[in-house]
Amino acid sequence: MHRRTVVQRGAWAVLLWPFLFTKCIPLDCQDCPSISQEKLLDRVIQHAELIYRVSEESCTLFEEMFVPFPLRLQRNQAGYACITKALPIPSSKSEIQQISDQWLLQSVLLLVQSWIEPLVYLQTTLDRYDDAPELLLNKTKWLSGKLLSLEQGVLVLITKVLNEGMVSTSYTEQAIFQYDMQLDMLESIIKDYTLFNCFKKDAHKIETFLKLLKCRQTDKYNCA
Amino acid sequence: MFCGANPRWTSQLCYPLSSIMTVSSKYSPLLFVCSLLFTPGCAFLFDWVDTASSAPLVPHFTECISREMATFSCWWSTGSFQNISSPEDLKVFYERKSPGKTDRNECPQYNYLNQECFFDANHTTAWDTYCLELHVHNVTYANEDDCFTLPYIVIPDPPVALNWTLLNLSPSGLSYDVLVSWKPPPSADVKSGWMRVEYELQYRELNSTKWKNLEIQYDPQQTIYGLHVGREYEVHIRSKMKAFVKFGEFSKSIFIQIEGSGDDGTSFPVMLALIFGISGIFIIIMFIVVSQHQRLIMILLPPVPAPKIKGIDSELLKKGKLEELNLILSGGGMGGLSAHAPDFYQDEPWVEFIEVDIDGADSSEKEDNQGSDTQRLLALSQQVGNHMHIGSSNATCFPDDDSGRASCYDLDHPDQDPLIPMATLLPGQPEDREASADRDQTTAPQTWVNTDFYAQVSNVMPSGGVVLSPGQQLRAQENQEDAKKGSKKETCDDNAKDIHFQLLVVDPENTEIKQNSTPSTSPVSNEGYQTVPLQTVDPNPIEEQQSPYILTPDSPQSPPFTPVADYTVVQEVDSQHSLLLNPPPQQQAPPPSCQSQHPLKSLPAMPVDYITPDLFGHLSQ
Repeated sequence: MHRRTVVQRGAWAVLLWPFLFTKCIPLDCQDCPSISQEKLLDRVIQHAELIYRVSEESCTLFEEMFVPFPLRLQRNQAGYACITKALPIPSSKSEIQQISDQWLLQSVLLLVQSWIEPLVYLQTTLDRYDDAPELLLNKTKWLSGKLLSLEQGVLVLITKVLNEGMVSTSYTEQAIFQYDMQLDMLESIIKDYTLFNCFKKDAHKIETFLKLLKCRQTDKYNCA
Repeated sequence: MFCGANPRWTSQLCYPLSSIMTVSSKYSPLLFVCSLLFTPGCAFLFDWVDTASSAPLVPHFTECISREMATFSCWWSTGSFQNISSPEDLKVFYERKSPGKTDRNECPQYNYLNQECFFDANHTTAWDTYCLELHVHNVTYANEDDCFTLPYIVIPDPPVALNWTLLNLSPSGLSYDVLVSWKPPPSADVKSGWMRVEYELQYRELNSTKWKNLEIQYDPQQTIYGLHVGREYEVHIRSKMKAFVKFGEFSKSIFIQIEGSGDDGTSFPVMLALIFGISGIFIIIMFIVVSQHQRLIMILLPPVPAPKIKGIDSELLKKGKLEELNLILSGGGMGGLSAHAPDFYQDEPWVEFIEVDIDGADSSEKEDNQGSDTQRLLALSQQVGNHMHIGSSNATCFPDDDSGRASCYDLDHPDQDPLIPMATLLPGQPEDREASADRDQTTAPQTWVNTDFYAQVSNVMPSGGVVLSPGQQLRAQENQEDAKKGSKKETCDDNAKDIHFQLLVVDPENTEIKQNSTPSTSPVSNEGYQTVPLQTVDPNPIEEQQSPYILTPDSPQSPPFTPVADYTVVQEVDSQHSLLLNPPPQQQAPPPSCQSQHPLKSLPAMPVDYITPDLFGHLSQ
């Protein structure tokens, strides 16, 4: 997996390095190693699956370690209001089945990009705890790294799927996340717990979207 | 602040009370008080109280389940409320929190019969938080537990269309592998990727209660290895959403069975082990038999003991070295000298036997012994002035039916100077025989005066002496093996008191055994000594009738015997195994005196007409 990640990153870095600043991705790249769309989609899906699994493990670790019993979310994951809000992402299955591939990918991209900063924040906040387990810290670090790779992969996928030259993403809502370092312990725990839960939920969403996309790409007529 | 103002926060149990209060504002007052007083332990208490507070007394939702992550239903319970009759009394509201918005609606579809609220696909959004509320009589009953996110309440349907195919059969025909395949639940949209479902297969034998689990896997097929022929198995499968925890119900079971006689599944190795064990044991036994062949033959098929003269090697007899024996063994059936007597009279300690050891032909030791025995005997005779030699007689050997050996007798004994060993009648234990024999050669009876070489024992003194009668021809009526004769040995030892015996002479015609209470009894009276039929202790008794010759311990009187010759030459042994003795010169032997230890000294000077076969045994040496 790491080798694949390195290769992938290398491929993307080679592909994208001039455009990292502009956040626009040109398509005309003659020297770049090419990868088929199906393979890329498979790899992106694998990324998403792995991210979801690790996020679930991290959330469980955090819950067992820091969250007092009465504050734990029930099995049904009621969850607090998640931070990622006001994103035009369909939620119901019926809606999702009606949207186009491009919109699906765009939704995925939005989700992925909205979680990059909170994950970085999670890393810093975990360092503040006294007895945060090493495993939890490593997982969080891994998550944020993988999310970046996922973002890059989705970006490439979008260009391939859309077959368009430029994809512009709007980051007007990038300042959603607010850092608040003045929280006391319990509030901080609650906030972090919420973060973990919401990220877990969104990771599942990303994975589901990508799977739907894959089905549409392979067999357009049988997919509901 | 129990945890202080330390910016480094510690673990979960340590948190300030104020925070507890803010968080647990919805909790009961009991919880509030508890949280004020017992901070560390209340963390656990919260849980307990929380569960206690959710006692089903108020209307509440029992569960919410989604089958395919597109619709879901929630069921409620009225609890202990009994006055809910009309639909107007109870309403369900829900609050859906999605990113960016929160909306509140009533249940889209009621089912009062089932007490169910059904949310169709239009009202179901994944990844949004739903919180349900019950409104009964305008009272809101809401619970934190009633909030959920759709993927976490999904319980997939069980898979369908289970079937199995035989993969392969083991070479022994006792076990086989099976591939079980199924279809995903029809309600789950697995094909489009909307749901990812994984499966867990369980199987068991029909007569067992324990299910065996196989690994959870994603493919709708699985192989079961190692099923036994002839047994029936039950298989069922359940499914769950991948990366989630809730399992659905089990599918309908299918039954797998392959007919066969493979019920020896468990007994086959047992039989194999049994066969190997038996073969191994058999091989070991054969090995033992082969290696210990000779010993086993000896144990299982012991050689039949042939009658033997103790001390006489039958080989010597066969080889013809019987010159030594000729003088003694004359007639038929004289073989058994003292061989069987000891065995026969073990329980009669007063019977003494003279041991005859004639196995001297092969070893020098035996020669020496023979010589010593001979010397013993010769010493006696020398002292009595007789020339004794052994083994110079011409022996005629003829087969003896009794003993199995050729019995030889001397035909022309008058020409010889036959040597008849003096009867060493030693009182004492049979075990002392050897010792007695050894003592024989040490001293010679000094009391012998002018006695012949042969003497007939006429009586045994109560004191232990042996009375030898002067040589007198007696009719040897029967000569038996030494068996019971025994050497009438006397010692004048201390144990003589135990072993006094008296010679019992029994009339041959008289089959009765007359026990002499006193030495002087009629049968042994003046009419002289008669040959006493000697009973053969031979294993093959051929004699028709023998009167037992018994020596009994006796009263201390010496019989007034008619003096007879001291020595009597055994002339022949007649068919009745009686000894025919030469009449020795008349001589008056002095009455025996109880000498110290020497048996020869105690020999009476009165010869007797007969000589016991024991004497012959000694003579032969």
